[in-house]
Amino acid sequence: MREGDTPAIRLKGVSKRFGPGNLALVDIDLEIAKGEFVFLTGPSGSGKSTLLRLLFCAERPTTGEVSVDEMNIDTLSGAQIPLLRRKVGVIFQDFKLLYNYTVFENVALALEVIGLRPDQVKKRVKQVVEGVGLGTKLNRKAIQLSGGEQQRVAIARAVVNRPPIILADEPTGNLDRKRTGEVMMLMEELNARGATILFATHDERLYQNTHRRVLRLKNGKLESAK
Amino acid sequence: MMISIFLRRALTDIRQYLPTQMMTTMVVSLSLLILTFFCLFSVNLQHFVERFGNELGIVVFLKQGLPQERIPLLYQRIAGLDGVETVKYVSPEEAFKRLRSYLKDEQEVLEGVDPRFLPPSFEIQINRAVFNLTRIKQVAGVIEQWPEVSKVQYGQEWIDRLEALSRIVEKAVVIGGLLLMLTAAFVVANTIKLTVYARQEELEILRLVGATNSFIQGPFLIEAFLQGLAGSAVALSIVFGTYVYLERMLGLSALFKNFELSFLPWQYVVAIISSSVILCVMGTALAMRRFLRL
Ligand SMILES: Nc1ncnc2c1ncn2[C@@H]1O[C@H](COP(=O)(O)OP(=O)(O)OP(=O)(O)O)[C@@H](O)[C@H]1O
Ligand SMILES: [Mg+2]
Repeated sequence: MREGDTPAIRLKGVSKRFGPGNLALVDIDLEIAKGEFVFLTGPSGSGKSTLLRLLFCAERPTTGEVSVDEMNIDTLSGAQIPLLRRKVGVIFQDFKLLYNYTVFENVALALEVIGLRPDQVKKRVKQVVEGVGLGTKLNRKAIQLSGGEQQRVAIARAVVNRPPIILADEPTGNLDRKRTGEVMMLMEELNARGATILFATHDERLYQNTHRRVLRLKNGKLESAK
Repeated sequence: MMISIFLRRALTDIRQYLPTQMMTTMVVSLSLLILTFFCLFSVNLQHFVERFGNELGIVVFLKQGLPQERIPLLYQRIAGLDGVETVKYVSPEEAFKRLRSYLKDEQEVLEGVDPRFLPPSFEIQINRAVFNLTRIKQVAGVIEQWPEVSKVQYGQEWIDRLEALSRIVEKAVVIGGLLLMLTAAFVVANTIKLTVYARQEELEILRLVGATNSFIQGPFLIEAFLQGLAGSAVALSIVFGTYVYLERMLGLSALFKNFELSFLPWQYVVAIISSSVILCVMGTALAMRRFLRL
């Protein structure tokens, strides 16, 4: 991280408690620089999703401070949350697609909320959906797609508005080796264009031979950083 | 810009959720239908009571042997009274003629009777526009005081009965109307709540991809507006169709020849449509509120 540059993501003394005895995150200190590509791993239930959810304000921390792209989450008002979420592209572990809507409509949503012109929306959506290999299924309803195809729609929606920060929660969980490779390439490309990426996975092969920073969560504690 | 996106999304939604939308619209229609029929019924009942009362005129009998030149004077005074529409003078000869034609075959009982033995009288009709039952009593009461008058008749019993009836009708209409309105509001609000809840995942997803509250609400409110409009239009059309049918039936039947039906005044129509729209839009906005936090 360059000196004096504010980090894209910063957590300071963050804990998250869901009711008594259910401590999902414990005293997390973390900084991710702009343009960094970081893996987040850990066993199931270790708090990966919870950590990501704090970053787009789906959850509020019990204690500690969270800031994302210079926005302080603690002081964010309800009206400002949509602005934060437009800067953060999220690939949800459970996709969160509108299953009665077509692939096109699902991906277009992320552009319509920022008020992009319809012709622009059409162009960008087509381009991105082709990029994830679903160009021929643009007008299929999401419910008629396989799990892997749905996951790629979720990826397309997260990146279509070119957000500066991408939070990927197990984005290759349903994909075969070839598709996984394609998604990793897409992520590398977005990162090369300047996006900060936090990539949660427990697929060791994805980060085994990487030079990138790997964060390990265990029982809600950040154990080590490679 | 945003409006066109809202409209497009509303249209997509309507196509997408056509069965649900139709169901909601139908619930709105049916709830309003009962209320609208009730309004039609009560409006006509009130008209009927009024019109019936209006058929009753006032008859003023004058004292016998009143000088002839007093008659036009009295006529003027009665015609000048507030609310009086028409006054007709019935001379003793005219009254005798009526009596004779009334008796028909038994006219011989009048043989040798002085055609002037009946008292002269005035027949008064009250103005339709200002007609009400107390007006008739008032006018009658004023005239009764005059020294030239021997007796005033105005169907006292009928008026009293009608007055009591119209008081009851009025109360029943207010109470019944309120109850029906509450029922309709309750049913519609809850139906809308269920349809909004059924789409709560969609609301959540819209929020997660950075939609503002107004972006999320816009299409829903447009849909609610259209549902309110369509629902009330359907209810009013059905009631209007029934009204036209009933009127034709009444026209054909000899018994009810004079029984005129009337449709709801336009104020009622406007009130029903706008309250339906407001109910749907408010219900939707309220049901959505809890999904738009955070
Ligand atoms: N909304 C919630 N209410 C209560 N407990 C929760 C909630 N969300 C998460 N938890 C708990 O927090 C802990 C961390 O969950 P989280 O989903 O972050 O794990 P994860 O690392 O993403 O697991 P996985 O790899 O299976 O996705 C779990 O013990 C879970 O039960
Ligand atoms: Mg998870």
